[in-house]
Amino acid sequence: MDAAYNTKQSRKPLKTRKHRYMRAKGDIIFNIINYTVFILFTLICIFPFYYLLINTISDNELVRTGQIKLYPIGIHFKNYLALVNVNNLGASVMVSVARTVIGTATMVLASAFVGYLVTKRNMWGRRFIYRLLIITMYFNAGLIPWYLNMSMLGLTNNFWGYIIPGIVAPYNIILVKTYIESIPAELEESAFVDGAGYFTIFRKIIWPLSKPILATIAIFGAVGHWNSFTDSMILMSGKPELYTLQYRLYIYLSSTSNLSALMNSGGSVNESVLNAALNMRTVKLTVAMVTIIPILLVYPFMQRYFEKGIMIGAVKG
Amino acid sequence: METRRNRLSDIMLYLLRAVSILLMISLVLPAFNPARLSALISKDSALLTISLSYTSLKGGFTRAINRGWVEESTITLIFLASVVITLGIAMLSAGCFMTLGKLRFQKLGARLAAIGSAIGMPGLIMLIPAYIAMSQTGNPVKVQPMLPIGIYVLFGLLALNLAISLITAIKLPKPQATDRYEMEPKYQLFLMILPFVILTLVFAYLPLWGWRYAFFNYKPGLGLNEFVGLKWFTFLFENPATRRDIARVITNTLAMSGIGIATSWLPMAFAIFLAEIKSARVSRMVQTFTTIPNFISWVLVYTFAFALFSTEGFVNSMLIDLGIIEKGRNFLMDGDHIWLKMWAWNTWKGLGWSAIIYIAGISGIDQQLYEAATIDGAGRFRKMWNITVPGLIPTFSVLLLLSIAGILSNGMDQYFVFKNSANKTTIEVLDLYVYTLGLGSGGSGNIPLATVVGMLKSIISVTLLFTANRISKLVRGETIV
Repeated sequence: MDAAYNTKQSRKPLKTRKHRYMRAKGDIIFNIINYTVFILFTLICIFPFYYLLINTISDNELVRTGQIKLYPIGIHFKNYLALVNVNNLGASVMVSVARTVIGTATMVLASAFVGYLVTKRNMWGRRFIYRLLIITMYFNAGLIPWYLNMSMLGLTNNFWGYIIPGIVAPYNIILVKTYIESIPAELEESAFVDGAGYFTIFRKIIWPLSKPILATIAIFGAVGHWNSFTDSMILMSGKPELYTLQYRLYIYLSSTSNLSALMNSGGSVNESVLNAALNMRTVKLTVAMVTIIPILLVYPFMQRYFEKGIMIGAVKG
Repeated sequence: METRRNRLSDIMLYLLRAVSILLMISLVLPAFNPARLSALISKDSALLTISLSYTSLKGGFTRAINRGWVEESTITLIFLASVVITLGIAMLSAGCFMTLGKLRFQKLGARLAAIGSAIGMPGLIMLIPAYIAMSQTGNPVKVQPMLPIGIYVLFGLLALNLAISLITAIKLPKPQATDRYEMEPKYQLFLMILPFVILTLVFAYLPLWGWRYAFFNYKPGLGLNEFVGLKWFTFLFENPATRRDIARVITNTLAMSGIGIATSWLPMAFAIFLAEIKSARVSRMVQTFTTIPNFISWVLVYTFAFALFSTEGFVNSMLIDLGIIEKGRNFLMDGDHIWLKMWAWNTWKGLGWSAIIYIAGISGIDQQLYEAATIDGAGRFRKMWNITVPGLIPTFSVLLLLSIAGILSNGMDQYFVFKNSANKTTIEVLDLYVYTLGLGSGGSGNIPLATVVGMLKSIISVTLLFTANRISKLVRGETIV
């Protein structure tokens, strides 16, 4: 309605009462639809989180039979305590935390330092080196050669296989470089005149000044490390104690996610294995909740870095 | 006289660097591994690998040691020798890089290179008794003692390097008392970035060396055994089963990427309509909550799918309550409309996030344009269509071109977690297919064929990207990469 109205009348100033009335009515209808659609989509986005949460704290028998729908019934937190007894879970949490912390720290340090170095126009072979780094964003040899390479370097079934390949992150290097280029060059020059070396300038000037961008890449890097599971599956196949939490969750999920097991509603087999109060469905969902919690905890702090992060796609070398 | 001596030492320095770089490369190339004295050491392991992990070296010999074919001391000797050679090469590399400095550094570098080479050579000699011990094995068929070509190559290179570095060290003029350990800034910077360049070379470029697997037959554990030329390339197109698979997988890939590209305007629409919500609180709330799904892994997305759509899940419970169905069923095992379902999950996860770039774009549009349009009597939709959309089109076209260039790469995470017996024919995309073909079947995968597929994918993707870039340059006058 509004569209038709616009094409006819938009060139003339709107003065008459009828026009005002129509516009107001159109506006209201538009707003109602617009708000409804957005609020619905928002609900769809957060409902799974809420549904997961109420299923992990409700009465387990009701959860197993699918009785928990919109609100929790029989609230208890035993499931979270019972996770201590779940095989391999503790080790996976340790691996995930360790790789997130070490992987992010090394990546941020390297990105900051390399990002700083590539702004130095007097570096020997700078253009070539920079291209060498950047091309890897757009081109890779493929999964199989990458795996064989990792295996050749002894990084399969080895914790450092999670860390070392991620140290040099070209995207983040570009981000840091772009940011450092926006820092006034005089700051650095004056330090240089005072006799500071590159390391000192980096440590005393560049690092403190580029903290906002470093926080951005740290957060995105940490989320990436925390969430990755295919590298666990591909590289660590011979060493289950090095599985990340995400991959462990996948294993728990798929342990009955084959056709036959999901058809008969599970439960009975697992009760004997685990605490009698638990069943497979609650264990899966509780492990999932534990996996999500860190993300939800850092999420509020992440939000203000979104724009910088998404601009990754917009910046160029 | 002085200049002639300098020129000689300059030439020597270049030679020293060249030979040192060859030695460094030989450290990571399995083909020149001098320590591969037996077929029980993988053909794919480089000298560096052996010197880094004693357990994995010994692992290959577990049976041989238990049966008494090989003494454990032999293995230890091989390991020690590898460590010594690696240390030597590391030292001469350090020396090689020092020669980039001024005179004092050059002198020190040449000496270090000489010492490094001198350390490496006894390491190689240590391999000879190990070889002799190995050749007295009780089971020559299984152990297959051998003297790898790497021993001769490395010995030759180390000897050459030793000679060169000694000549350099002698021929370099004596440093004056005023000379200090100095290096030009351009070389300092180069050396600072070098470790990261090496990491990039090792993890992003060295895998290209793995493309050779496409031209060989490959047996797990035995490595590459015979050169077969383009056998696997022709196999890909001539074997009916493989050809059918490829056709199916390409169809899935293009269909799912195609649906994604056809709906790639959605984030832009999301941002435009969100801008029409005048309540800052609602708008911020929508943004906050629609972005969360982007930060959870596909495993967790699958957990949600499991929680909501499995037999005891939310959807079934609600449908039963409403009397629409009698008995729950597992929607995840339903193989219909997989392309659309995958698109729906992708949209659920990514829509809010992808909209952010457009939201930022809208806030960058000059407000005066809207004011002027209002004065001219433009309505809401006319302003959206004639001001907002044109303002966002540049961003949109860049992203569109990039997604067209990435049409073959939809990643494997999502499809891997959602894959099951009911949907496996329609869910398998190229990335997942390569994984399943090469690694997904517990060691019995067809590595060469998977390499061929991955290789063709990489080449086509890069070609697409450069085409997209060229188009962008022609149309917009700006490149995208």
